[in-house]
Amino acid sequence: MIDAEILKKKTNTLLILALIVGLAFHGSAIFFTLESTYDALIHLFFADHYANSWFDPWEYRWYTGFTVQSYPPLVHQVIGILSYIGGLKFGMYSVAIIAIILFITGVYRYTLLMTGSRRIAGYGAVLAVFSSTFVETLHIFGQLPSISALSILLHVMTEIYLWIKTGKIRYFLTSVSMLAVTVTSHHVTPIFGMVFFIAPLIGMAVMDASRERVNSYKELSFRIFWNTTLKHFSRIAKFGFTAIFLIVFCIFPYWYNSKRNPITQVAIPHGSRDNFLEITSSGLVFFIIPWGIFLFVLPYFFYRFFSKRYVFFGLSFALLTILGTGGTTPIPLLMLGETAFNILTLDRFTLWATIMALPIFAEFAYRMVEGDIKVLVQEKFGAVYHRVIGGLIAGGMLFMVLFTMSLGYFRPSQPAKIKMLPIVNFLGADSHDSWRYLPLGFGDQMAWLSAQTNAMTVDGNYHSARRLPELTTRAVERIENSKFRGVEGIGSLQQFLTVPEKYNLKYIFSNDKFYDPILYYCGWQRLQLLENGIMVWEKLNVPPIPQIMPKEDVPTIMKLMWGIIPLSTVLIAFIINIQLIWVRLLKSREIEAPSFMKLKLPYDKFPRKMLIFSHWWAFVVLICLGYGMYLFYVKNVAQLSPNNVVESYYDALDFKEFSRAHSYIDPESNIDIAQYMLEVSVTDGILSSYAKMDSLGIEIYDETPTSAKAKVATRWITPLESLYSSDFHQLIKRNNKWYLKPSNFDNDIPLDQLFTANGTTFYNHGRRKISTQDAYHEGSLNQPVLEILAAKLVKNKGQYSIIGELQNVDNVPADVVIKATLYNDNNKELANYNAKYHMKHKLMPKETTAFKINFEGIAWSSTKDTLPPTFDPDQFTPVNFEEQPTKFNLQSAGNVANTDLYKHVALQNLEKTERGFSGVLFNSGVQEVTIPQLIVSYYSKENELLWVDHSFIPEGVRIQRKQFFNYRPLELDSLEVINSSLKNCFVNGIPNETIAGKIVPNRDSSHGPRQTQPYEGNGFNSLKFEINSYIGNPK
Amino acid sequence: MHKHILLLFSCILLGCSSKKEESPTGLAILKAELIAKKDSYIVGDSIVLKFKTDEAAPNLKLYLKNAFGTILVKSELSNNLQTFYLPENFTRKAGECHWKLIQEKTILLNGGFTIETNAEIRTRMETYFGPRSITAGGNNFSMLTIAATDIYDNTVNTETEVIIKTQFLETISEFKVPTKNLIAWYNVESTLKSGRILVTSHCNETKSKEVTTIVYPSNASDFSINASSAHDFADGNQILHLESDIIKDEYGNIVSDGTLVTFMIKDQKSSSLFTIGTTVNGVVKASTLHPSQESKWAIQAFITGVAESNTINVNFRTAIKDYPIHFTKGNRNIDIGPFESFMKQLVPDGILVQLDIYDIDGKFIETKTTTTKKGSVRFLISPEYLPDGKYKLIFKAAGITKEMIKELHGY
Repeated sequence: MIDAEILKKKTNTLLILALIVGLAFHGSAIFFTLESTYDALIHLFFADHYANSWFDPWEYRWYTGFTVQSYPPLVHQVIGILSYIGGLKFGMYSVAIIAIILFITGVYRYTLLMTGSRRIAGYGAVLAVFSSTFVETLHIFGQLPSISALSILLHVMTEIYLWIKTGKIRYFLTSVSMLAVTVTSHHVTPIFGMVFFIAPLIGMAVMDASRERVNSYKELSFRIFWNTTLKHFSRIAKFGFTAIFLIVFCIFPYWYNSKRNPITQVAIPHGSRDNFLEITSSGLVFFIIPWGIFLFVLPYFFYRFFSKRYVFFGLSFALLTILGTGGTTPIPLLMLGETAFNILTLDRFTLWATIMALPIFAEFAYRMVEGDIKVLVQEKFGAVYHRVIGGLIAGGMLFMVLFTMSLGYFRPSQPAKIKMLPIVNFLGADSHDSWRYLPLGFGDQMAWLSAQTNAMTVDGNYHSARRLPELTTRAVERIENSKFRGVEGIGSLQQFLTVPEKYNLKYIFSNDKFYDPILYYCGWQRLQLLENGIMVWEKLNVPPIPQIMPKEDVPTIMKLMWGIIPLSTVLIAFIINIQLIWVRLLKSREIEAPSFMKLKLPYDKFPRKMLIFSHWWAFVVLICLGYGMYLFYVKNVAQLSPNNVVESYYDALDFKEFSRAHSYIDPESNIDIAQYMLEVSVTDGILSSYAKMDSLGIEIYDETPTSAKAKVATRWITPLESLYSSDFHQLIKRNNKWYLKPSNFDNDIPLDQLFTANGTTFYNHGRRKISTQDAYHEGSLNQPVLEILAAKLVKNKGQYSIIGELQNVDNVPADVVIKATLYNDNNKELANYNAKYHMKHKLMPKETTAFKINFEGIAWSSTKDTLPPTFDPDQFTPVNFEEQPTKFNLQSAGNVANTDLYKHVALQNLEKTERGFSGVLFNSGVQEVTIPQLIVSYYSKENELLWVDHSFIPEGVRIQRKQFFNYRPLELDSLEVINSSLKNCFVNGIPNETIAGKIVPNRDSSHGPRQTQPYEGNGFNSLKFEINSYIGNPK
Repeated sequence: MHKHILLLFSCILLGCSSKKEESPTGLAILKAELIAKKDSYIVGDSIVLKFKTDEAAPNLKLYLKNAFGTILVKSELSNNLQTFYLPENFTRKAGECHWKLIQEKTILLNGGFTIETNAEIRTRMETYFGPRSITAGGNNFSMLTIAATDIYDNTVNTETEVIIKTQFLETISEFKVPTKNLIAWYNVESTLKSGRILVTSHCNETKSKEVTTIVYPSNASDFSINASSAHDFADGNQILHLESDIIKDEYGNIVSDGTLVTFMIKDQKSSSLFTIGTTVNGVVKASTLHPSQESKWAIQAFITGVAESNTINVNFRTAIKDYPIHFTKGNRNIDIGPFESFMKQLVPDGILVQLDIYDIDGKFIETKTTTTKKGSVRFLISPEYLPDGKYKLIFKAAGITKEMIKELHGY
């Protein structure tokens, strides 16, 4: 049989079939999946870099500049070259199609090497097409370099085996030439591939050589194996050293860069490090999907891998399997150590394990379809059972493929596809690219935007290359999607929004209205809505990017190596291998069958015990799956218990599924769905429009068989701060289902149907003359004059703040930016920061605002010592100084504002209660205030400003309606005023003193105190309320 | 091989050898004389200096220096006449120009002349005007700065007259300002009236374009306010309109649109309430809701630090004098209302009603709040939540508090 197969050398129909089906299936599916994967567009951006500047590794467009020598370049360079033919995306799809071909043929050759049977190898190729791990890596993750490198590695394995086995120089050349290609595609694959694939492969080659010296595996003793190893040692050593040399040499600039710019990024959480039992979504993506149907065949894998020939693969496979379990067991952490565990994404181990198992699975399939397992099963359980089992396995495999492919459709990991052209045009027009921009809510599509424009962003999508300490010290993937990183993400975003001039950040493209409130409260304003629905926000008073930007240069030799070596490896490998490929493909001449073909097993006797055990194992796996599903069901059956119904209700509210929420409302309360939707739709505010639920605490009390009360404490992540809200619900059980009693809605109706309002609106032309020349005088307006009425450096609860009061004394509305710098007694600068949301940024003529500047982590000059380990905007980490701040410098700047000038919110009622103030806001205008903010200033007996506090009111104030609020005054007993001199205060660069006497020479300073609210508080004597209103949808 | 090395070596040696300097031929120092001496030229004219020497000498050079820079010019020779053509760049720069005639290292002659600005050909002007807005009242000004130049960008001669015209309301004024220190400048003082001052200038028949400064009104002076409303009952629903007279500055200018005015409201419990308005044509309008209980409001408006209004008093009478409470179903169904307003009409929807429940020992249990609908509200206290027993119930609505002890039983 064996001899006949070798002699005939027919084209392997299964392989051809696999290639056709694989190309048809994956090749057409990538057009719908690849662009919404996590990684593909990042590689596209890198490719764009090479297409524009092949040799210069410095890329300005992300992270205020980074080097592309931080990622192996081959795949990017190939895409870059192909982009000259048909654009970047053409390049990407071409490379993906090449990768698919390489993968299928790679698995074929690897299976052939492992089993020695062309038939089984054909099975392997077909199974490779439908392997869920490949589907996931390509269509969900989009890891092109990783797939390419792995596929080539699979091709190399045969060559390495033959070199070790035969010692023919030809095989040495083919193996190292292809290994070089692997190295330049992806650095991690060959390094770990050496350990997990090549080491066991060498072991197997030596094992085979030893086997040839004896008659059966039984006679193969360790002694013989050891002797054979010594005999082959020089080949192994030659190969090993060459491989190490290649890994170092081919991507030497990468290692050079890693040494020079070590990754300082703190570990960013990755799903593959989770405990899969706790976080089931990670378990699904990083364990269940890649393993798929293999889970049922695991005993067979171990049975086969731990036979003598494969024993090294067995060890490697076991190791990979364990490492792939992430944080589920403590073993991976112990094996890898803290650092490696937190840097590596552990899903790659599962990927390798499942790829490694493919030949064994192919062998299983072969034996199941036409081999001894079929015989055994039919004999033991009957032919029908065999068919059913076969059908189940095939069906299971197909199901996993469909399920994986559909993940991206039903649970999209990315926002809907954004048309980039309007943004690209915006950035290109009117010198908008002289500033940096920041996309918000773009997902991985931000890379595609970056690839199309020359404008720069502070963000980026390759976090290993970050340089700004603001980013490297935060476990935040991108600022762009910071809301998914909870408080820490929002905190990181806020730092960029508060001090944008530090990064020359002027434009924000918002694809997620979640971020709108923080943009407004940090002093940003809406500029225009682009035709693709993206809102452009801008910040005034930000200088453009300087002409000369910092750049880290590398020696020319590094640039040349980086530009030349990778593609050369492909060319060399091609030249060396072309003859072999030609011969193999076209069967143009007979070649001697490689020695491993002789090691094909007869597969005539499958052990019965193994069959029984496999059945038990499959049974256990089924039970585990069933139990998992049951848990999922119990947790998610909404009305099974009081706890469940409350949880489901809040979940429905969080995802704005109001009809689902309504189904949990007591049906006997006679609120129909229309009424409910109406009531929900009229509630606006930060909680109902801009919050993501972070945690939910439910306390059920007074529970009787048919009723209960629930106290629900929720923590919401909002763009501004995390909000805590507690609500009470009454629950009732009807027909074995728990329901919530509806809460009361406000019956208040406004006085009239129609309201009229007059007001002043403003418009600034910007560029009046259509000219690309800079308009030095004509296009610019005078900066509105401000006056700083008070400014103080205070210390409260160990925290230093600058507080004060400021007035727009000009005749036009002003947008106000305040920046404060702290100094010690020796005039050494300690920190500087801007006013965030503790002020009104937009002031009408003669309007005043209180302000407060807190000094957050990155404000301090020596970031390292003062940074809190994890950032929490609510919890300020007091900084321990040896040098105490004693002086400050305050720079305020006004620019003419023409938006966000809504001031018509009145304080209609205010009552002192034992729980502080309870008051009523009344919206007397015609714009709906989505988020009202109270700015509360505290005054001493002498009417001196002491402190400024703020409070966001969770619900909005609708037009001509009231909103109740509560405010509990603070205790200021530990407050200390350090400096209250106005000497170093400046307005638009001019000393405040010179302005103060000039614009309002006869200032009546009694007006301030006459607008305060007397209150005998702890450490203060009166309060003043100011209202700042954010309007979500200006009309 | 040896040959090659030798060849190379000799080449190196040759390369190292130096040519000996030729010693000066000892040419005699010439005598030169400037022909047609001229002390001043007009900028842009071609300038030619001719020197007559007593012998023919090919190697004379002219060293030139003026505001443009320094240069050596070669001569053109014919017989004993050395002719130097000054480069264009030098002839276009007004000011002093010095020259030295040089033979080898010897200065034969030196001298100078001035290049005068060309006032005849078109004068060019650059004008700067700022700030573009000032405040009425006279102690604020915008400065017009004029740099007049000839076509070669040489500033016109000092004391060149620049005519400046300003227009404000019906007045057009004209001033003559001589240039000094390269520029002419003029301060446009702010006027007492607000408005727009147009400014233009000309010099040597060249006209500038029109530039503008806006005179904004000065700070507001005190003003008066009044309040109006449909009625004076505290029904928590009507709107109180506040309006000022026309707010003007001390010169009678209406304050700029958008000026923010805060209306401070002090009620009888000394709570500081406020509502805000911005001026349109000097009038500020603001509104707030009537209180829902009897109140005495004292209202004063402020333009903070700048001006204030008179204080007006607005009193609100009780609209709801009383409300009935009905208990049914074992006192667990509590109907409050109908709430009747001042004409015995049902109150508008939305009056806040609060029920505080205490147990008989005065321990606080719960607060329930709701708002009226069709004049009344209903609280339902089901036995699942509050077991039978005696409770103290406190009702609060429209400023009226009612306290009672009730026994809840059955349903």
